[in-house]
Amino acid sequence: MSKEKIAELGMTNEELFSFVDHDNLESEKITAPRYSYWQSVFRVFFKKKINIVILTLLFIIIVFAYIYPMIYHYDPFANLNRPELKHLNPSKAISVMGLSIHSILGTGAAGQSTFDAIWNGSRISISLAFVCAAINMTIGVLIGAVWGFSKKVDIFMTEVYNILGNVPYVLFISVMVMLFSASFWTMVFALTITGWLGIAYFIRTQVVIIRDREYNLASKCLGTSTIKIAIKNILPFMTSVIVTLLASEIPSYISYEVFLSYIGMGLSDMSLGKLIYSAESSMVTPGWEFEFWSPVAISSIITVVLYVVGQNLGDASDPRTHM
Amino acid sequence: MTKYLLKRLLHGLFSVVAVVALVMMLIYSLMDRNLIFANDPQYTKLNNNIKKIYQYQQWKSYGYIEYDNYDDFISRLHSAGEISDSDYETAKKLGRDATKDSATTKKYVQMFTDYYDDLGWDVTRLNAISYGGNRIASGGDPKLVASRDIPLLKRLWDYFTGLVKIDDINYASEISGERGLTFTLHDPLYNGSFSPAIIGNGTEHKYLLYLDSQFPYIHQNIIQIKLGTSYSVKKGVDVFDNITTRQGSYVMKEVTFPTGLTEMSADDLHTAKYIKGSQNATSINSARFVDDYTNVDTYKSSMSRIGFSFVIGIISVIIAYLIGIPVGVIMARKKDKLIDKIGTVYVIFIIAVPSLAYIFLFKAIGGKLGLPTTFITERLTTTMYILPIISLSLPSIASLMRWLRRYMIDQMNSDYVKFARSGGLTENEIFTKHILKNAAIPIIHGIPGSILGSLTGAIITERVYVVPGAGNLLTTAINSYDNGVIVGITLFYAMLSIISIILGDILMATVDPRISYTTKSR
Repeated sequence: MSKEKIAELGMTNEELFSFVDHDNLESEKITAPRYSYWQSVFRVFFKKKINIVILTLLFIIIVFAYIYPMIYHYDPFANLNRPELKHLNPSKAISVMGLSIHSILGTGAAGQSTFDAIWNGSRISISLAFVCAAINMTIGVLIGAVWGFSKKVDIFMTEVYNILGNVPYVLFISVMVMLFSASFWTMVFALTITGWLGIAYFIRTQVVIIRDREYNLASKCLGTSTIKIAIKNILPFMTSVIVTLLASEIPSYISYEVFLSYIGMGLSDMSLGKLIYSAESSMVTPGWEFEFWSPVAISSIITVVLYVVGQNLGDASDPRTHM
Repeated sequence: MTKYLLKRLLHGLFSVVAVVALVMMLIYSLMDRNLIFANDPQYTKLNNNIKKIYQYQQWKSYGYIEYDNYDDFISRLHSAGEISDSDYETAKKLGRDATKDSATTKKYVQMFTDYYDDLGWDVTRLNAISYGGNRIASGGDPKLVASRDIPLLKRLWDYFTGLVKIDDINYASEISGERGLTFTLHDPLYNGSFSPAIIGNGTEHKYLLYLDSQFPYIHQNIIQIKLGTSYSVKKGVDVFDNITTRQGSYVMKEVTFPTGLTEMSADDLHTAKYIKGSQNATSINSARFVDDYTNVDTYKSSMSRIGFSFVIGIISVIIAYLIGIPVGVIMARKKDKLIDKIGTVYVIFIIAVPSLAYIFLFKAIGGKLGLPTTFITERLTTTMYILPIISLSLPSIASLMRWLRRYMIDQMNSDYVKFARSGGLTENEIFTKHILKNAAIPIIHGIPGSILGSLTGAIITERVYVVPGAGNLLTTAINSYDNGVIVGITLFYAMLSIISIILGDILMATVDPRISYTTKSR
């Protein structure tokens, strides 16, 4: 290219090619774009606008379930002596109690605010779900990993799985509830005593699939220890699977708690399930339907939000989406 | 293959035994056995020793313990003729405590104690409880009892040996005529028209094999399955009978009884069972029957528990496959298009929302549309089935859609798909002939499970729509501490789940020749 042509382009000297010296030290370095796993996870996660909306909803739910009861102390029997407050639908409640956050969902059988009752119940249900998920996932992933790696453990655990998996879950829970009382920690115990088995089995299958892949075989041939293979080669691969599993586990505990309460084996506290169970008769009473549908709707919203956040986080934590 | 299946079956049987053992341990050892008295009005009325005796009796009925008391022991000896009338009268009377027994009583108390000590039972003497001087408080009479917890192994052994009962001709204790089986071509119940039957004399059932107009037309009473006797759910009835006998209102028709008496009745004379001395026990029986085979079942208008559960379950399974598979295929083909997104929203809704919530939602919607929302066994209409079927098929459709879509998308990047495409096959051909066939294999594995699973019934759906099905039996039994029913139902569930896994494996190997369970040389 002639000098005139370059002048026509109007480029500065910095923009043009120039000679550089050969650097022995620099040529030894391998350069690649900086890659941080978790940064990429969040970058992919927040790229979807729907996730911001869902996260906001999750934030609101957490605020109402955990911070709101701290500010406003809820007493279900505060209005017991005021019969005029019983079983009001929202419009009546607003006209009797005035427009406030307590009256927007009406009142229940004891004159209590449905809105407050729901968030009080949500706190119990969400806590139960998180505690159970944390325990089951930890135990399940650890045991599942060992189960997948060791052939001896596999034979034994498959037998255990076949036996325990066939004992009706309801039976386990009801025996636990009868042995102790229907308290929060009993429920956690009942839901976790065999709950980890399913997760462990799932993880085991995943481990078995990845275990014998070529890159692990190569690792093994190069003398990497099994523990190092598990932590460095397989665990990163499993992150998205674990997060996705967690996403369906947490809502499932809330659903399960609702189910157990409905069949009369639930918590003694007024959890979401207990609220739905105790308001069941209201569903067929004209004018009282709101008492039933509000906890049903809120519990559905909570579970859907938790599920979607988890699923999308699971998608984002899959390294294949980071490109 | 046969050898492999046999091995799997044996393995399954072992699991079933272990499951039953575990459940027995849970309910008989771990659970507080005093809970059965929590809602017992009888228990609160009783006092002192009588209360303790009542406790023992109830525990025996619920299957926790083996129990005997001195009074029954003595009267058994008496009726066996091992104790004279005069001795019996004195031996019956226990002293206020062990030191106050008469000599005769002491002898028999010793006999009782020795007998049960040898068996390893606990013998307990409950001394008289008196108030004031010599007056015995109400229910405070002295008692002597022996009891022990049934050991798990004995319990298991008894349970599994009693599982299948074969009728034999020495069942009835007193019988007129000769014991034996007779084959007749002309069932006496049909007034001499052709109808083959095997009739037993001395057996528990009168008719061991017979034909009638009810499905499946040929019936047998030779082999009876005994899953466990109920105590509180349906007293004295076996779980198997409980879920398989018909329900609803009586179907009356003209029945000619063995004596020749003809009247309107719902009795099904083919089900006649032996009860000792029952022919002359009531005037009705003596007018109707010529022997002690008087215990008959009745014709009822509607299906059994398991029948209702199965009809609702199987229809919803069929609907689920009919809808779920095509929609799953379309979702995979139109990945990331509108239809896929709508389907995904539906799947998320069903997975995340508590099942109770959407069942009630659909009940409310159905009610607004004018569909009946409760089951009335007496006045059954087809429309009553619609809502339960819908609410049962909703989650199955969602899970079929979800998994089929997943499997198909996983297959879409395979080499054989690229090859087929480069070979010039149309997308339709690729999807229906290649991808679907490969993606459907894990789905096919689940088919036997979903069919057999519909026998167990659905807890929430049946509760919400008041369906008289089998789904609620387990929860009802747990709530009323009916241990026999709990064990029986658990065995039933475990058997079904093991059979469905094995059937699934067979089916999978049948449709996919690449799958083989026997190691053969390649």
